[in-house]
Amino acid sequence: MKSVLKIALGIIAALGGFLDIGDIVFTTQAGALYRYDLLWAVVLGTVGIAVYAEMCGRVAAVTGRPVFDVIRMRMGFGLGLVSLLASTFVNVLTVAAELGGLAIILQLLFDAEFSLFVVLAAIGLVVVVALLPFGGIERVFGCCGLMMLVFLATAIHQGPDWGEVAHGFVPSFSDSKLYLYFVVGVFAAALMPYEVHFYSSGAVEEGWDESNLRENRLNATVGYALGGILACTLIVVSGYLFHPIGVDPTDLGTAALPAQGAFGETGLLLALGGIMFCVGGAAIDSSFAASYNLAQFLGWEWGRYRGPRKAPRFTASWLLFLFLAMLIVLSGINPVEITEYSVVLAVVALPLTYFPILMIAGDRSFMGKHANGKISKALGWIYFAVIIILSITAIPLLLMTNGGGG
Amino acid sequence: MRKIAALAVVTFAFAFTSGCGDLSRDELNRGVESLSALAAQGELIANGVARDATKSTYTRVMAKTLGGEAEHEAEKLADAEPSPEVRRERNAAVQVAGELADLFSELQTFPGDEHHGALVEKHMGEVKGQADALVESLTGEEA
Repeated sequence: MKSVLKIALGIIAALGGFLDIGDIVFTTQAGALYRYDLLWAVVLGTVGIAVYAEMCGRVAAVTGRPVFDVIRMRMGFGLGLVSLLASTFVNVLTVAAELGGLAIILQLLFDAEFSLFVVLAAIGLVVVVALLPFGGIERVFGCCGLMMLVFLATAIHQGPDWGEVAHGFVPSFSDSKLYLYFVVGVFAAALMPYEVHFYSSGAVEEGWDESNLRENRLNATVGYALGGILACTLIVVSGYLFHPIGVDPTDLGTAALPAQGAFGETGLLLALGGIMFCVGGAAIDSSFAASYNLAQFLGWEWGRYRGPRKAPRFTASWLLFLFLAMLIVLSGINPVEITEYSVVLAVVALPLTYFPILMIAGDRSFMGKHANGKISKALGWIYFAVIIILSITAIPLLLMTNGGGG
Repeated sequence: MRKIAALAVVTFAFAFTSGCGDLSRDELNRGVESLSALAAQGELIANGVARDATKSTYTRVMAKTLGGEAEHEAEKLADAEPSPEVRRERNAAVQVAGELADLFSELQTFPGDEHHGALVEKHMGEVKGQADALVESLTGEEA
């Protein structure tokens, strides 16, 4: 019974923690622009993150090594350093985007100066991390993130043409650069590198071993699949409400409007609450990911479970990254713009993160009987090919579409 | 050295002035489309106020943000030098943007007033209609 509960909590954490500001921004805009046409891109991204999260959870459970340990080991110091710099840059941008998103939601709920909420949000995150144990952080944000289920209820309440919705799951291509930009954005938002950095380091934090492999498989597949369903509902509700009247949801608060339309103030509050916990959780995950990477690369003591005294450099770097992110948001750049840049730039860094995982997870001399089977191997390589194509096209598309502005 | 300096001056002058050309039909159309999108969003927010189905802080902050965007669009359009064939549409677009900014300001002032909400919702719909008519006249296509 206890293990069932543990698995259920893990799935809830993965589900609630799947969505972040990148998913919310890109799926809401994709729905408004292309109605249900980009649902297939969410499925593509969700299967991709499930495949790679399962691999790095497995590597962590079997070898006790998190992602950046593996990157350094497989790629050597030089390429590993490039990977560290690229992922740290993207991770800090991501923390800034999530922190800015959190401040926007707090402002929508309490109406005061934005900069005040940026500082309060950063302090709040430090307090939460100081007070809660690692598992507690994951579960609190994961469970409260379930308020996002209001979007599923909204989709059902709106009653769209489900045949048309189903048609959106069939991949379609267009020669429109903006459409391709959103394909890249929706896919990349699901595969942000910090998610696997955090997932594998989290597995080490929680002391996973081979007995946790089933839990890992369930968290990665069921948890992320349910998270993908939530991302799909964001496209559906946005496509249903915004597309016909031409709303361009460039503000994070607009994403909550469909829930308000369906369930009034209660719907609005649930939507804002859900977004707040999703972006708050992602702010912690991405800032931890940046510190995990640095500490693992430089061989420092790391881990929330060790505490600040036993892992002082890890703790200091975490605070530094959060502070840097706070400065970026306070500089006045719109958090939604930071989000778009962080997601698209992350695509460029994706191969550096996912290639070493694929190699190690498939290495029998290292993983023994737990090395990638035929299906994991095939899926891993197919996704790696997709990642390479997207990483080549991401920056040109960003420039040609003026950052998605058309 | 002189050649390099001259080249730098020409490059700088080109870069500095290249953004200051006439406002083209396409650019104006994009501006008006964004006004239409803002009006549509304003209509949904005002609908929440009219139905007493929202939170005043949400309405106030959203109205302030979107009103700021409408004002910015109005300034951008008013500052641009339109090409002669779209001068009339440019002027109409500036007026639409101004009306939109006023309506958002109304929402910001009365975020919990259902009567005001209903009025603003109606006017937002009208302003959206004006913006869509402008898009139609600029593109020859139904908005």
